[in-house]
Amino acid sequence: MHSSTNAFTHCRPGRRQATRLCALLLLFAAILPLRAQERMVFTPQWTPQAQFAGYYVALEKGFYKEAGIDVEIVHPTSTYSAMTRIRKGESQATTLQLCQAMEIVSEGIPLVNILQTSMNNAMVIVSRRGKNPLEQKGARVGIWSVGFGQLAICMSMKDHLDYEWIRFASNLNLFVAGAIDATLAMSYNEYYQLLQTGLPLSEENVYRFCDHGYNVQEDGVYMTREYYEKHRDQARRFAEASRRGWEWAAEHPEETLEMVMGYVKKHHVATNRVLQKLMLDEVLRLQLDRESGKREFRLRPDMVKLASDLMVGSKMLRRQITYEELTEE
Amino acid sequence: MKSPLHYFKKSLSTKLSLWIVIFTAVVLVTALGYMFNVSRHAIRQEAENHATEILENTTLRVNAILERVEVATNNTDWLISRHLEGPDSMFVYSRRILENNPDLNGCSIAFEPDYFKQKGRYFSAFSLRSNGEIHTTQEGNEHYEYFYMDWYQLCKLLDRPVWTEPFLDYNPEGIYSKDMIASYCKPIKDSDGKYIGTISVDLSLAWLSNTISAVKPYPNSYSIMIGQGGTFFVHPDSTKLFYHTIFTETLDHEDTALAALGHAMQRGEEGTRQLVIDGQESYVFYKPLGNTGWSVAIVCPESDIFGAFNRLSRAVTISVFAGLLLLLLICIQIITRELKPLRRLADQAGVIAKGNFDEALPESKRVDEIGQLSQSFSDMQRSLAGYIEELKQTTAQKASIENELKVASDIQMSMVPRIFPAFPNRPDIDLYASMTPAKEVGGDLYDFFVQDEHLYFCVGDVSGKGIPASLFMAVTRNLFRIVAQQGHTPEEIATQINLILSHDNEQNMFVTMFIGCVDLKTGHLDYCNCGHNVPLIDGQFMQIKYTNRPIGVWEEGEFCGESIDDIRERQLLIYTDGLSEAENPQKQLFGEQRLQELVAGALALNSEQVIKMLQDAVEHHRDGAAPNDDLTLLCLKLIKD
Repeated sequence: MHSSTNAFTHCRPGRRQATRLCALLLLFAAILPLRAQERMVFTPQWTPQAQFAGYYVALEKGFYKEAGIDVEIVHPTSTYSAMTRIRKGESQATTLQLCQAMEIVSEGIPLVNILQTSMNNAMVIVSRRGKNPLEQKGARVGIWSVGFGQLAICMSMKDHLDYEWIRFASNLNLFVAGAIDATLAMSYNEYYQLLQTGLPLSEENVYRFCDHGYNVQEDGVYMTREYYEKHRDQARRFAEASRRGWEWAAEHPEETLEMVMGYVKKHHVATNRVLQKLMLDEVLRLQLDRESGKREFRLRPDMVKLASDLMVGSKMLRRQITYEELTEE
Repeated sequence: MKSPLHYFKKSLSTKLSLWIVIFTAVVLVTALGYMFNVSRHAIRQEAENHATEILENTTLRVNAILERVEVATNNTDWLISRHLEGPDSMFVYSRRILENNPDLNGCSIAFEPDYFKQKGRYFSAFSLRSNGEIHTTQEGNEHYEYFYMDWYQLCKLLDRPVWTEPFLDYNPEGIYSKDMIASYCKPIKDSDGKYIGTISVDLSLAWLSNTISAVKPYPNSYSIMIGQGGTFFVHPDSTKLFYHTIFTETLDHEDTALAALGHAMQRGEEGTRQLVIDGQESYVFYKPLGNTGWSVAIVCPESDIFGAFNRLSRAVTISVFAGLLLLLLICIQIITRELKPLRRLADQAGVIAKGNFDEALPESKRVDEIGQLSQSFSDMQRSLAGYIEELKQTTAQKASIENELKVASDIQMSMVPRIFPAFPNRPDIDLYASMTPAKEVGGDLYDFFVQDEHLYFCVGDVSGKGIPASLFMAVTRNLFRIVAQQGHTPEEIATQINLILSHDNEQNMFVTMFIGCVDLKTGHLDYCNCGHNVPLIDGQFMQIKYTNRPIGVWEEGEFCGESIDDIRERQLLIYTDGLSEAENPQKQLFGEQRLQELVAGALALNSEQVIKMLQDAVEHHRDGAAPNDDLTLLCLKLIKD
């Protein structure tokens, strides 16, 4: 997610083209119910990149087929998000960060986590000119306009840093041009993009949320509870096949990278092999639980509680969201 | 097998040739090295000037167009600020900019959310040139929240006009076209100076890309352009465009030179750098593009710039090397040929050196140094043969003389008493004497004998050395025996010997003598010193009144004697000047003072020990030098019963 140099960069889609896209998607939506039992559309929350490598592997290696599901991976566009597709029933599963999912549930759309891949938080704050982000009270800090970064807002309030949040569409140009003092970044994505702009990064100017009591899990696969209740077995098989995909990816990083690059090229994503390799390594690393050192593929009740407490405390959630609410039980 | 070094040492021609070649090589390498260095510098300078000029021209052209865009924007922006009451007029302004400026692709006049209450949250008047027509719309909506876009926010946050990083525009099919766009954005402010929106003008950069790509001063050179974030916006490898930055490779493997170039370009510097790009040594000439934050660079492989130079350098180096090798061979050949007679001469000389003096030398008609050497050698051979013959005769003669001298020496030594103790039956007489000639035979003498309880003794030194002195010594010694046995006093003995020796003494030889006679019963000593070194008694030089003249000088006149009452238990040492005047290699004399000190310290020794001690002292003083005079010593001590 959060690709900064991809399709979402700067571009201004023309009106005509947006209309065409809508028409096309409506057509899909119309066809879907005909093959509902076996067919499933999975929409990761961002354009193709190594963040979704496990799903590409599961599809390419036929794990989904073996699980009896005809999965199609459809990526979102800048104007048509993954959640929009879920809400409209065009996609049956998507990936979300835990905090995002909790926000959506709190807004009244019940979601079920059918597979948790991330075991660690990847968010960082990077500040300019070697300054410690914690010493920049009231600084202008870039945040994704599409709504990641809940933890950062909690942290800014809790630690009385009073950051001025500058919402940006999806890239780092504001930061590179010096228009903002710091920016949020994902350790597997924007962090490397910043390195790629020649920015010197050190422990001094990088704040890692996971090291400061904000280690909240991120990516997981979610379905609406409504769909889940009707397709429990399909959900279980999809999750199992996706998990196989991730495990295969961890064992075969080179081949996995090839598959990722295939998707990247097909979708004209503005990235490169070096960045995707770094992303794959980091995403796989984030899947290892800090305590057990293993890929656990489970939502941790303590992390759900931590996230809920933080977000309720900073009034980002109207009520506590529980572990049970998000899981199959 | 012999080593090349051995051959080198042995062969004069090789040695000479190598020195010539080495010297020539040093001169050539220095001169060529200097020339190569200067040329290389000049070529580099030329390349730099060339590239700088091209970059200068390109940036001038680009800047002119960019400035036109900036001027066009500035010309509209005041109109907007003045007519904020009518939002719909923004569509007219946005359209008019495109109409007045055919270079421009699009123009947005966008406002803060909810700025115009009647227009709702989104208001951005957007005109786009497409297929020669200008389409104007309001472009903001919930899917396109323009106020989060860079082009909108950059100038707002920086509070100044800016150029955005170039980006790719959509084409109607939703696939990226190759058309690169950049926007010039300027904040719009109301009459209070408060920010209310952004005017953004889009410029297609296809021409820029083409202009920069076309810059190709060398066959394999290419041009690149990077943005503020280091992203490639112009690059010959199209897969890198927009997807790679100048730093991407450095994430995979460290490349500080490349990173440094990237940073310098990002800082808007202008200059030249030498680094390895894609495994190729290259020169990079870079220059910023106006105030866009973008930077253009020309990458020239070193082989392109220095290609002809390197080829020339190689050719020259090979020629020089080959030339030096040829020079070496020619030198060896010429010098070998010139030195051939010398070698023959050396061979012949070797034969002659083995003793074949009759070996004929090669004929030489040369008049140069070698010819002269040959002639001189021939002369030397002849003289050498004669000399050797002469030497043979002389050697034979010398051997005969040496043999005779040996016999003479034996005879002379047999003349003086040499068996000690001299009087085995007389324990009261402790006497020891020694005589060491400087040559085979000497001119010193000593003698002693006991007659009627009297001990007669003498020590003498004949003038001169060698055979004449030895003969004179023999005569003197015999005379002493004969005269002394007649019971004379020492002065009478001296007078009589003088009479005989000075008569018919045509050689004018003389002898210094110390003659003594001791009454063994009383220890009374009579003595006569005839010009001889003063003896020592108990380590002190004797007090002598009458030194007298040496014996044999002239007939007339008596010799005077003296006496000491009792010399029993007293040590008497008589010596010749071979002791006191013994010289070391530095010609320093042994000296009387040293003699006196030595003897004074040896009063407890017996006569033989005293003599041996003095002999050792003289030997030590001479320190290897040949004896310069005969050395005779006599020590006497009478012991009381």
